[in-house]
Amino acid sequence: MLKNYLLIFWRNMTRNKVYAAINITGLAIGIASCILIYLYVQHELSYDKYFTKHDRIYRVVNNLIVEDEVEKASVTHAALAPGLAADFPEIETALRMINRNKQVLRLDEKAITIEHAFWADSNYFEVFDYKLLEGDPKAVLQEPNTMALSKDVAAKFFDDPMKAMYSTFRIGSQSYKVTGIFEPVDAAHMKPNVLTSMSTLPAEVRQNFKSNWFGTNSYTYVLLSDSKAAAGLQAKLPDFVKKRISPARGNTTERVELHLQALTDIHLNTDYLWEAFPVGKKSYIYIFSFVGIFILLIASINYMNLATARSVKRAKEVGLRKVVGADRSQLILQFLSESILLTVFSVFVALLLVELMLPTFNSLSDKNIASNYFLEPIFAASILGIALLIGLISGSYPALVLSHFKPADVLKGSTTPNSGSAVLRKGLVVLQFTISLVLIIGTIIVYSQMHYLKSQDLGFTKEQVLVVDIPSGDTTIVNQMPVIKEQLLKNPKITEATTTVMIPGETTGVIIFDVERNGTMAEKTMNTIFVDYEFLDLMDINLKAGRNFSKEIATDQENGFILNEAAANVLGWADPIGKRIGFSDTTAGRVVGVVKDFNYTSLHSPIEPLVIMLAPQNNGYLMARVSPNGITEAMDHMQETWSKFAPSHPMDYFFLDESFNKQYRAEEKMLTIFGYFSLLTIIIACMGLFGLASFTAEQRTREIGIRKVLGSSVSGIVMLLTKDFALLVMVAIVLASPIAWYGMQQWLQDFAYRTPISAWVFVASGLVALCLAIVTVSFKAARAAMTDPVKALRTE
Amino acid sequence: MEELVIDTKNLQKRYVTDTVETTALAGVDLKIAKGEFVAIMGPSGCGKSTLLNILGMLDSPSDGTFKFLGHDISRATERQRAKLRKENLGFVFQSFNLIDELTVEENIALPLAYLGVSKADTTKRVQEAMERMGIAHRRSHFPQQLSGGQQQRVAIARATVSNPALILADEPTGNLDSVHGREVMTLLSELNDAGTTVVMVTHSPSDAEYAHRIVNLFDGQIVTENVNVKRHAAELL
Repeated sequence: MLKNYLLIFWRNMTRNKVYAAINITGLAIGIASCILIYLYVQHELSYDKYFTKHDRIYRVVNNLIVEDEVEKASVTHAALAPGLAADFPEIETALRMINRNKQVLRLDEKAITIEHAFWADSNYFEVFDYKLLEGDPKAVLQEPNTMALSKDVAAKFFDDPMKAMYSTFRIGSQSYKVTGIFEPVDAAHMKPNVLTSMSTLPAEVRQNFKSNWFGTNSYTYVLLSDSKAAAGLQAKLPDFVKKRISPARGNTTERVELHLQALTDIHLNTDYLWEAFPVGKKSYIYIFSFVGIFILLIASINYMNLATARSVKRAKEVGLRKVVGADRSQLILQFLSESILLTVFSVFVALLLVELMLPTFNSLSDKNIASNYFLEPIFAASILGIALLIGLISGSYPALVLSHFKPADVLKGSTTPNSGSAVLRKGLVVLQFTISLVLIIGTIIVYSQMHYLKSQDLGFTKEQVLVVDIPSGDTTIVNQMPVIKEQLLKNPKITEATTTVMIPGETTGVIIFDVERNGTMAEKTMNTIFVDYEFLDLMDINLKAGRNFSKEIATDQENGFILNEAAANVLGWADPIGKRIGFSDTTAGRVVGVVKDFNYTSLHSPIEPLVIMLAPQNNGYLMARVSPNGITEAMDHMQETWSKFAPSHPMDYFFLDESFNKQYRAEEKMLTIFGYFSLLTIIIACMGLFGLASFTAEQRTREIGIRKVLGSSVSGIVMLLTKDFALLVMVAIVLASPIAWYGMQQWLQDFAYRTPISAWVFVASGLVALCLAIVTVSFKAARAAMTDPVKALRTE
Repeated sequence: MEELVIDTKNLQKRYVTDTVETTALAGVDLKIAKGEFVAIMGPSGCGKSTLLNILGMLDSPSDGTFKFLGHDISRATERQRAKLRKENLGFVFQSFNLIDELTVEENIALPLAYLGVSKADTTKRVQEAMERMGIAHRRSHFPQQLSGGQQQRVAIARATVSNPALILADEPTGNLDSVHGREVMTLLSELNDAGTTVVMVTHSPSDAEYAHRIVNLFDGQIVTENVNVKRHAAELL
């Protein structure tokens, strides 16, 4: 009997190729999207689980609390790790990682800039058990002047990365012997490329690390002897702060709170500043999961609708099977097995699609998902389970409808049986289009928000600014900056040049100031940036009152402060110029100028109070404004100058607007993925509509014939057939608009600066969907309308 | 007393729609004995097809009793009726009603599949049925590749492959030309001669000639019942 079902299924598919194609393509795209989303979500959820001790590893983070302001920082004091390890027996070991950011690695004549270099304690590889391709985990970072490289970095220097072992690299003036090569882990919140041994640091620095409870620079991890010890340890941390940290910090209003963060929580559940790598967002996981389910739902609805609409054609078969003795359960079984077969078939097509789309998806989503996911038994089992489930869900309704036919009705052939509830079918079409429209509207709003952010007046001009990363630690270059700047300006295409510690878009420093309030001095924490004399001019930041820093006025170096409007407002200064500001140990600080507010961080947040301080000798970046028509020339000149003054460092440059816009990368990523998926949903929904329209046209062949005989025009008939479907899409527009509006309103809450959601978004999306639907349906309707009425009437 | 295949008393069937109630059968008493060939005649709309559907257990009566081979059908469940149907009934329709997606051979094998007949047995019985109907050479053709007469022979092969006690034929020659029509009627009466009971609805007096008995239906009631003297005479010869 099963063979018989298979046979019928196969022949039905091959004889109704359009129907089969709609179903299989739709389901395959749906399932493929689902698999991709599943892999994405799975990857996001698997962060740091690679490490076998992950359930015992915790990161210690700290909140710095001043008055009512909390700064949540992922970096802690360097003294914390040894202190914790010494005080708490439940801590098996503790370690620090200090971000060295980008470094130029040199081997003989070869110099390559490598991102994500870290100082690390010697127990690093015992806690994070990377697969060491070379080296002994206990010994790797033990000695001073040793380093571990990821295989990828080693491969940049050697054809056979293993050959890097024991070779000596240089970073700045230090030499490091490679004592370990490790396989990098993609799903980890820390993805170091280079690790240098902490013991390499000069003795005085290490000594300072032991007692310095002010500066925070270290990511601190503890390995507990038992994963259950975390809660107990957390409870003891306030005492630790009281005993060890507070006395060392002396008299300050700033309070420190320590918190344990489970290793596997870090990627998705963190809102701490100074993360070394971008973190994930839990809400995006939910959004993607929903999108995946929706696409699948739309594809399943296609199957349900087409199968029931098509049921008229199979009514005779059902009647006959009943006549020769099939009971209803056997028929239900038959139709369910058909839908399951179809989904299983679609799954195979989907797996093929996934294989094809994976590289694109990886680059879209910034992931590195390998195609060996097939091999995981859980994946295979769940994919099979999903196929069964979709088959059952989408097949159950058609099965019930089809098996319900009375042979006495269907075998006479004159009357068409009721092919299931047309109302339900219409409802499902509305549901499909509602989902598609919500996604389309969402995509448009995300897009317009991105556009809004990028075109927003930031209060400074971010275009045409070339930024060069100044290699840290090389004082010869830093000292030559004034000369380099002068040299740069010799080219007419470079209009301004300056240095700065931070560029807009980066996290600023936070400093506690002593400020004048009601005649006395009070403490106030504010964001701070350190800049050079030309910074404000180069950035086109306007002064509102007072003046810019001046080389003529020597006191500016120590005692000049410039505020932004927000800072002046928060301090309640109507006339800020000349007001006292500084640190507890100085009294001569004065406000010399106030600048108009500018967005120095991302537009996710409103402009916060900012203090701008002068530090021409202290710099991280060299910035140059270039004229729009001379970018190449300006860059050539810059490269030339750079090679002259810093021949040993490759010029590492970028444009300010690009780096500033990187802050919206998470949203951009979401926009692209969202865009693709909403495109897919509307395509699948339209395919379903096409199928439905085909069957309606077929079912109404007689009616069309009669109408034509009675004088109806082709356009009249196209109208007749299209009208009903257009109405459904219109209902969907009405339903989708408020849902999309509400959802996007929520999403926009993430931004301090929001694009208004205008009505045209809904109108435009609605029109697009409506046009697509009408084109789809009328294509079929026109063909039906143009058939010879005599032919149409002969069909019985 | 000879064994009754069909025994109905006061069989009624009413169709109720929102506004009107139509009476299709208004009290039919019909007894059909094993081995009989009965033709049911009457004008369009007199209830012939309704009666046949009820006799074939494809439809249930609104009132009255219906015994099939002694089983009270009015109280049977859907599943029980499906079982009685597949074990005892064969249907032949005016529009053949073959499954387009199945070949001749597969169409004929279908009832055996639902009876759970073994594969070897099925092959043998299908082969016999095809040979009996003279369509063995068309075994792997699809219905639309056959002429009307051939399709009806496939339908009869399918109706008889399970050796049913009763064959119900609903205007079996309605869609056929006279040559093929006669062919089909000959086949049916041969089956009847071999012992199968046949009940046939027809418009055609010449087809009715093949029956032992002609039941005339009018407005849902039996108006006359004639014994076909010719057929009896032919049998006696």
